[in-house]
Parts: sequence; C-alpha cells; structure tokens
Amino acid sequence: MKHLQKFTKAALISTMAIGMTACSSKNTAATETVDAQEKYGCNSINVYNAGEYIDLDMISAFEKQYNARVNYDTFDSNETMYTKLLGGSSYDVIVPSDYMIERMISEDMLQPLNKDQQTNEADYDPAVLKMRDAYDPDGKYSVPYFWGSVGLVYDKTKVSEDDVKKEGWNVLKDTKYKGNLYYYDSQRDGFMVAFKALGYSMNTENQDEIQAAYNWLREMNDTMEPAYVTDEVIDGMVNSTKGIAIMYSGDAAYVLNENENMAWYKPDQGTNVWTDSMVVPKNAGCPALANEFINFMASYDAQMANSKAVGYTSVRKDVEEEMTAKDGDFYGNDAYTVRENGSKDEVFHYNEKLTKALSDLWNKVKVQ
Amino acid sequence: MIIVPMLMIVLYAFTVQGNDVLTFQFTLNNFIRFFSDSIFPTVLWRSLTMAFFTTIICIFVGYPMAFAMAKLKPRSQAIMVLLVTLPMWINMLVRTYAWKGILSNVAVSSEIAVYVGMVYNFLPFMILQIYTSLSKIDENLLIASHDLGANDTQTFLRVTLPLSLSGVVSGITLVFLPAVSSFFIPKLLGGGQYVLIGNLIEDYFISTGDWNFGSAISLIMAIIILISMYVTKKLDKEPREVAD
Amino acid sequence: MKKRKPILSSIYMWIVLAFFYLPIFYVVFFSFNESKSLSNFTGFSTKWYEAMFENRSIMEAILTTVTIAVIATSVSTVVGTVTAIGMSKSKKVVREAITQTNNLPMLNPDIVTAIGFMLFFTSLRISTGYVTMLLAHIAFCIPYVILSIMPRLRRLDPNMAEAAMDLGCTPWQAMWKVIIPQIKGGIIAGALVAFSMSFDDFVISLFTTGPGISNISIYVYSNVKRVNPTINALSAIIVYVVTFILILVNVIPMIRDKRKGKKYETLTEVH
Repeated sequence: MKHLQKFTKAALISTMAIGMTACSSKNTAATETVDAQEKYGCNSINVYNAGEYIDLDMISAFEKQYNARVNYDTFDSNETMYTKLLGGSSYDVIVPSDYMIERMISEDMLQPLNKDQQTNEADYDPAVLKMRDAYDPDGKYSVPYFWGSVGLVYDKTKVSEDDVKKEGWNVLKDTKYKGNLYYYDSQRDGFMVAFKALGYSMNTENQDEIQAAYNWLREMNDTMEPAYVTDEVIDGMVNSTKGIAIMYSGDAAYVLNENENMAWYKPDQGTNVWTDSMVVPKNAGCPALANEFINFMASYDAQMANSKAVGYTSVRKDVEEEMTAKDGDFYGNDAYTVRENGSKDEVFHYNEKLTKALSDLWNKVKVQ
Repeated sequence: MIIVPMLMIVLYAFTVQGNDVLTFQFTLNNFIRFFSDSIFPTVLWRSLTMAFFTTIICIFVGYPMAFAMAKLKPRSQAIMVLLVTLPMWINMLVRTYAWKGILSNVAVSSEIAVYVGMVYNFLPFMILQIYTSLSKIDENLLIASHDLGANDTQTFLRVTLPLSLSGVVSGITLVFLPAVSSFFIPKLLGGGQYVLIGNLIEDYFISTGDWNFGSAISLIMAIIILISMYVTKKLDKEPREVAD
Repeated sequence: MKKRKPILSSIYMWIVLAFFYLPIFYVVFFSFNESKSLSNFTGFSTKWYEAMFENRSIMEAILTTVTIAVIATSVSTVVGTVTAIGMSKSKKVVREAITQTNNLPMLNPDIVTAIGFMLFFTSLRISTGYVTMLLAHIAFCIPYVILSIMPRLRRLDPNMAEAAMDLGCTPWQAMWKVIIPQIKGGIIAGALVAFSMSFDDFVISLFTTGPGISNISIYVYSNVKRVNPTINALSAIIVYVVTFILILVNVIPMIRDKRKGKKYETLTEVH
C-alpha cells in the first residue's frame, strides 16, 4: 500500500510538472524551434496591431519558437495607423480592418503573402474566407485575424426586449429611452446604423439616401440626448450606466460575460460585418518571418488564446465551435457568433469621397 | 525646428489635396469652407469661451494659491512647488478617468464636470507662473510701501499685483492656448456632447485625412488666439510704467 | 493683522492641495484593487504591479519616456535660458519678434505640431525613431522654458550685470554669477513645465517615433479600451517615485544643515 501511495504521489507530481512546463511554453506540441536568422536571414519584426487585441503570451511564444524578437506597437484606430505609415515607418505585419486593407491594396502599399507559409488557412471558417473576397479578391494579401459584427447591447432589466426586436435600430430613436443610450461616436458606424434603419446600403452614394440618413441622425440627436462615446461604452455597459448601446461584437461578448443583465441583438435590418486581417506592407524588413508570424497567429493555440483574452470571434472553425460549446467561455453568449446568412449584412468599402461627405455631416449632427 | 512645422501647416492650409501628399495648387477654398458653414465658427466660438472661462477660473483659484506659497519659508516653497507639479506627471488620460470615476458618485452637470477636469489639468501651470513672479518681488518694495503709509490692501493693489502681472500673463498663455484646442477632457467628462475645435482638427487630420482643411482650421484658430493674446499683452505694458 | 493671514492662507493651500490629490489617491487606491473595476473595491492585491513588471512593452515605454524627458528637459532648459538671456539684451524689436515666434508652436494643437514634425522628418528622409522623438520633444519644450524665464528676466536690474563687468567679471562670469542666480526660480519653473510636457506627451511622440519605440502615453492611449489596472499601477509608481524625491528634497538639506551646525559647534569649541 505504501509503495502504491508513493508511486501515485510521484506520478501526480511528475504529471503536474510536465503539465506546467507544457502550459508555460504554450507551444503547439508538434512544432520545434526554428532559428529565424539561419532560415530567413533576419530575426526581428515590427508588428502593428490594435490595442488590447492579443494575448501577449503569444508573442513570447513566437519569439521563443523562432529565436526572434518582436517589436509590438499598438494603434487606437485604422486611420491613426494609416497616418503614421505616411511618415514612412516600416512594419512587417499590420492588422488593419477590411476597408483599410482595401484602401492599402488600391494604393499599392502591401505585398502579396507567401501562401506556402500560410498552412493554417485551411482550418478557417469558410464564411470568413468568402467575405474576404469583398476587400481582398482571392485573398492574395491578407489572412483574417478576428471578425465580427456591430449590434445592440441592452439591459434586459431596463429595456423591453420586445421593443428591441420589433424596432431594431430604430429603438435608438424610441423616446421611451431618452437619455439612456450610448451612440457610437464614429462617422462610419453612426451613419451605418442610420442607413440600415432606413433600409439603405451602408456604402450608398445616393444623395437622397444620405440626406435621409442625416435627418434620421439629427432627429435622434435632438430627441434622445445620446451620449456619444467610443471605448467608454464598454465600461459603461459593464457597470449598467445606460440601458442601450451600439457595440462591436467582441466588446459586447466581453460585456455579456461580465454583466448578466446585458443581452445582445443584431437587428434584422442588417448590420456591418467586418474582418480584421493580417497583412505585410511593401516596406517590410523581414517578409519571410512576417509570413511565419501570420501563420503562427492563425494556429489553433494562438487563436484560442487570443480569442479568450479579448473576446472577439476567432476565424477558425475549431476554435469557434469550442468557444460556444457547453463548457466554452462564450457558451450562450450571442455576441460571439457572427451571423452568417444575414442577407442585409454588409462589408464596408473604402470610399474617399463618401468618407469626406459623411464626416462633415456627422459633425453637423453633433453640434447643436 | 520650431518654425518649420508651422510653415508646413500654412502651406497645407492654402493648398488643395491632389493625389500626392502635397501639391501646390493654391486656393482659399479651405478658408471659405470654414466660414460658409455655420457649424465651424460655432464650434470655434464654443472652444474659445470654454478656454476663456477655464483661464479665468485658473487665475482666481491660482493667484491666492501662488500668493500663499510665496509667503512660506524657502524650503517649504520648494516642496509646495513639487507638490503642485506632481499631478501633471500622472498621465492626463489616467487623471481624467479618475475624475470620471470620482464625479460619477457626485451629481454634477456635465458642464461642471468638464470645467473641473479642465481646471485641474491647467491650474498647476498658472500657479507656477504667478508664483515665479511673486517670489521675485523685492521685500523692500513692500516695506517701503508700508512706510509710505499704504495699508495691506493698497500695497497689494498698487505694488504686488502690478509686479506680478507678467507672471499672470505667462500663465494665461500657458493655459488659454492649449485649452482652446483640448478636446479629450471635455469629450470624456462631458458625455460626448461637446464637439470642440480640437476634435474637429484631429478628426480632419486623421479620420478624414483632409490635412488641408485641418490646417486651415488650425490657422484660423491660431490667428484668433494671437489677436486675443495681443490684447492681453497690452495689460503687461502698463506695470512697467508703474515700476519705473 | 499679519497673524490672521497665515491661517487663512494655510487653509486655502490645503484645500487646493486636496483638490490636486483627490484623483491621485483614487488612482493609488484602486491600483491595489483585486478586481479590474475602477468603481468597486473588492480586495487588496498587488497583482497589477506584478503584471506591470512582467510586461516588456510597459517597461520599455517607461524607460523611453523617462530618458527622453530628462534629456529633453536638460537641453531645452539650457537652450531656452541662453536664448532668453540673449533676448533680454537685444533690441526691443528683435525681442518682440522672437517672443511671438516662440509662442507660435503653442498656438497649434498637438496634432498639427505632430504632423508638421513628421512631414519635416520625412522630407529630409530621416526615418523616425528615438532620435526624432527626442528632437521633437526638445523643440516643443524650449518655448515653455523661455516663457517661464522671461517674466523674471524682465524685472532684472540691467545695471547689475554691467556693474559686475565693471568690477572685472567676464561676460560669462557675469551671466553665471549674477544673472542666473536671480532667475533661478524661472529656470526651475521652466524645467518643471518642460519635464511635465515631455513626460505626458502623446500625439507628438506618436508621430515622431519609430516602430518598437513607445512611451507611456502612447501605451496608455492604446490600451485603455477596457479598464486596465496595470495602468493604475504604473501611475501609482510614478506617485511613489515623486514622493521619494520630495522626501529627499526635504531631508537632504536638513542633514546638511545639521552637519553645518556641528562644524560650527566644533569651530566655536576650538575657540
């Protein structure tokens, strides 16, 4: 008996030890270390991603596996990133949004990816790959990182679910909830909601439709006393400060996990579905290693860790399924799944003229 | 180095955006656009008034503070200066979020919240400038004034105040100018209802990518500020005559 | 009459100080919070401090911020002081012109200055990085230094420097031993303002830095989407450091005085 006990103890301890080292290295079990300098001739890359959009341990994991150094910078918006690039900064991997990628391709700022290195793409959700054709035909330049949509987050105890389901986006103009709503302070998303509420395309250039959307927004602004916010909305909804808000799906998933009174709804009128993808700019210093980094972030382990840490929907089918399964982190969390057959859901297209026009109008809406 | 950025902005303000980063098609379009749409002057006016009131509050709160500081022992003065400066080293974002948290427990209008945040941010500048000029005032001048029969109030009004005015003017410069173009504090504490000229400029530069218009707005703002500063400087002229 | 003032002014000072430190205590308090919340204190924990030290990005950002602030402050203080003194000796016209030019950069919103610098470096084909950020910081700090010193310089007695030189000082000595001690307060105020501006700067740093080089403000701005208490820990540490400096400023002179006092005693004893 004593021997058995000792043996069990030893077995337990050694299993734990193995388990701990396996966990702390967080490497995909099958891969071994590669020396980047030997294989690719360079061992340092500059990565530019959105803030709070990654599990930092993944970066250390990559560095260990490739014996390389990753300089990781963050931006707060696509536009800030673009402006910074104009100054000539050289990055190896950037993670912009779909419309920004469209713009960068049209302005010849990106280089095609080495598809031989992108082995993990095969495990991707086919829907996200199909969406890619809208901004990167044939997926030559990008590999998706996260995707999601935009929708309504509402407090079940303060806002009637029926109202939300019946009115969709128009619930933001329902005077019952005056003073109790957050409106996203971005010309793009702000107008998207208005366009969708009126049944138009969010990429429309039709002057009448634009005017109608402007009127919709003015009415909303004048009668509803909205609080215009960007990131403060997350903390605000977690603390139940207001009853209803427009939010990005990943942030919403986080809010729903933190505050059980909150629910998510994607209006039938349609919404914006978006993808953030990884690209390699033309002036990258070490493109081969950049491609490796992209493939690394597309792996099961990385997608799992990142999605867990941030709350945004993974682009891999296996991770999505695991997250929404019975013991997954986002079980029952509506915000995590991207609606796949919303016929009225659209991807943003880059349109400079439209951006400028809407920009002016948006400022007009708020200044009263 | 200092002037060059300014020059580039002037260039942009007067040109139109072509396909390249900068073209030389000169035009006054940007300026016309600013004045033709009523929202732009409205926003500028709002920013100016907000900056104005912030500055006034800073003067009225800051002057007594600087005055009290100048009366302390030298060592205490040094400590006070550090104490007043320290809050500035905490990142503005963090400070403002902290106020947001504190004010959420107190029922104040968003207008008051914004002014609290703005004054908090700029007060140290005002205090330091006034303090610097106050502490330099020769004790003997005050004693002489008393000997000549003036009481405390008269001494203050006729001797101390005029001599400290240049400090007040520097303080105004350090507060009013940045206050006009600040937008983050009003945005965060004012619930986003505030659209100020700083928002607009940043927006046009980054979100819209219209550097030309952004520069034009910036120039217009700068000119207006220069005019108001010129008027304030006039105040600084007189004390020299008094001291002489 | 004089006795009344100290109490009133003391109270007033304490009130203003309380106003200044309320958010600071708030931040320090919540840096020890167990949970992520900024409004509910759930328990005491130092985990955010640990997280901060393990985060390479934050540590590098801190190093960058501090070194740039220190260097930029030193250089701009020296340049600013010399310029200011030079200005005070010039003809009024020149002085006015330089003053107006000096104020120009402060008239621009940060974003404008930032893009201006970025374009400047790009057109000279200098790639952005630590050095460009440093240069930009020095450039925007100088006006603040000059602004802080000018008021004091204005009221300086012009004859003092002349008198010193008549008595045999070189212009250099005259500057060092006569002028500078008198404007010391302005120089220190200028240095403090410059340091604060540099330490806290965001937009200008963002557009003048290069890949991999970040500062505290850039880090904070990009990572404040969700409540991130590591940032509170960071701010709290700044508070501790400055408190430490404050204590030093207080204690060292006291020790020095005590030593002086002892020397004096021994001297008198000998006699």
